[in-house]
Amino acid sequence: MEEKKYEVVLKVFVLQLGAMLMILPFVWLVSTALKSPGEVFTSGLSLIPEKFMWSNFTAIMDQAPFMLYMLNTVIVCTGILVIQLLLVIPAAYAFARLDFTGKDVIFLLFVIQIMLPLESIIIPNYLITKNLGLLNTRTGLILPFVASGFGTFMLRQTFKQVPKSLEDAALIDGAGHLRFIWHVLIPLSRPTIVTFSMISIATHWNDYFWPLIITDVDRVRTLTIGLGMFVQQESGSDWTLLMAATLFVCAPIIAFFLATQKSFIKNFLTSGIKG
Amino acid sequence: MTEKLENLKCYLFLFPGLIFLFLFTYIPIFWSVWLSFNRWNLLSPKPRFAGLENFIRLWNDEVFWIVMKNTFAFVTISIFPTMILALIFAILIDERMKGRVYYIYSLFYPTLIPMAAAAMLWVYIYSPNLGILNILLAKFGLPKLGWLGSSKTSLWALIIMTFWKNLGFFMLIYLSGLQNVNRELYEAAYIDGAGWWRRHIQITFPLIGPTSLFVLVVAIILTFRVFDQIQLMTEGGPGNSSNVIVYYIFENGFKFFDWGKANALTAILVVIMLTLTVLIFGIFGKRITYTSD
Repeated sequence: MEEKKYEVVLKVFVLQLGAMLMILPFVWLVSTALKSPGEVFTSGLSLIPEKFMWSNFTAIMDQAPFMLYMLNTVIVCTGILVIQLLLVIPAAYAFARLDFTGKDVIFLLFVIQIMLPLESIIIPNYLITKNLGLLNTRTGLILPFVASGFGTFMLRQTFKQVPKSLEDAALIDGAGHLRFIWHVLIPLSRPTIVTFSMISIATHWNDYFWPLIITDVDRVRTLTIGLGMFVQQESGSDWTLLMAATLFVCAPIIAFFLATQKSFIKNFLTSGIKG
Repeated sequence: MTEKLENLKCYLFLFPGLIFLFLFTYIPIFWSVWLSFNRWNLLSPKPRFAGLENFIRLWNDEVFWIVMKNTFAFVTISIFPTMILALIFAILIDERMKGRVYYIYSLFYPTLIPMAAAAMLWVYIYSPNLGILNILLAKFGLPKLGWLGSSKTSLWALIIMTFWKNLGFFMLIYLSGLQNVNRELYEAAYIDGAGWWRRHIQITFPLIGPTSLFVLVVAIILTFRVFDQIQLMTEGGPGNSSNVIVYYIFENGFKFFDWGKANALTAILVVIMLTLTVLIFGIFGKRITYTSD
């Protein structure tokens, strides 16, 4: 299929324009995070700081325990992901490859949960977490997210595609359910599991509403809440420090995805996320 | 007997997930529905059955109607333009191997940025005197806008920011869906003399239907529960001009301590979400069965 010259030019133009408009806010963020407070008022549109103020980053560390917030975020995200996988894989296996009474109804319960994320039923969840004595704990930040209807749905789709002959072969070799899952299903479903894991990490790195509701001490706060509190404390007076803190909160997750870009894109495009 | 045993085994695989599913999804829903029929606020600190009182109060509450209008405006205006542009960009990226990773990431990175961080960045972008948008408007000799500070523009400002945040995610899902479209169809249409638009309208659009349905569901979930950017950027203001249902639930629960009303709003939101689920899967049901097997 040959493209006409003007078609190519037009397509590249639209793509470049779109990409530039999308990136501009981030360039603006990085640029301001490295400026001095005075320059913000005088520089107008200039994107390259006159003097690079790396000290903005040490300044925010002095004003709020961002390293502690980071540690809490890593603990919470890891905790959620590990428990999610432990719950999702067996459930997806049962839905994809076993037959039992009430299968459709129970599967529906998992699917409906996709439409009703925690944020939409925040009030009763707050009450339950309070009654369990989990306010201001990392456990309280983790547990409400561990049952993932989305993950169960995604993995079920993938598990279904594994040919029956492989299962029969495994059974003849004397493998039980668990060995079949571990040695056959998981290795064959790697792209979907990796994609789900990355979506989970990105989602929960971003969680704001739930930690806002159930934490009020620095000891357990995560990065996003730390940033929100920092903003209130600064009350918009110094944009350079606010943007430095903002950059500090997004940098790890962006770096993580850039470092894994090749496998992420490949996995995402081949995984069962198409619905 | 053996059949029962087999069933039991299957349930063991589901049991751990079901516990948490009930604890943090289904018990909360039923509890919330029950509490929505109770009076529970600062003046009556223990829940007491009050029939439809909370719903009647909402019906007569001017703010509730503003909130509902804002929520539906936010949802519809953010979803459809984002979906259409996401599909167009996905098609363009799909046709270009060169610079592919750069294009994907430049569109997708906003999805990775925590909403809290994105909100701070956009408060700065929208800031009346130092923000890049008003600086640009002034450069072109146009009047500056109030953006977040004006009740005329606040909801629009949030919609634009949310568009920026979600575009890349939807694009990536579409790009993933496009991998399943048989390339030979385009070749055949090309040989028959169909141009770029016709090829995509007649081949891509029908074949991408199931993916669109998936994107639509994701989009509805993401936009109906919008909270973070509202709490951080406008607090629903000025004068409730950007207040939406989840933020109003938060206000009633954690600011006014009117737990009865907050639970009534939660029950309404749950009913809306379930109705939408039934509608979407009812209308497009056939497509779903064919994609899920």
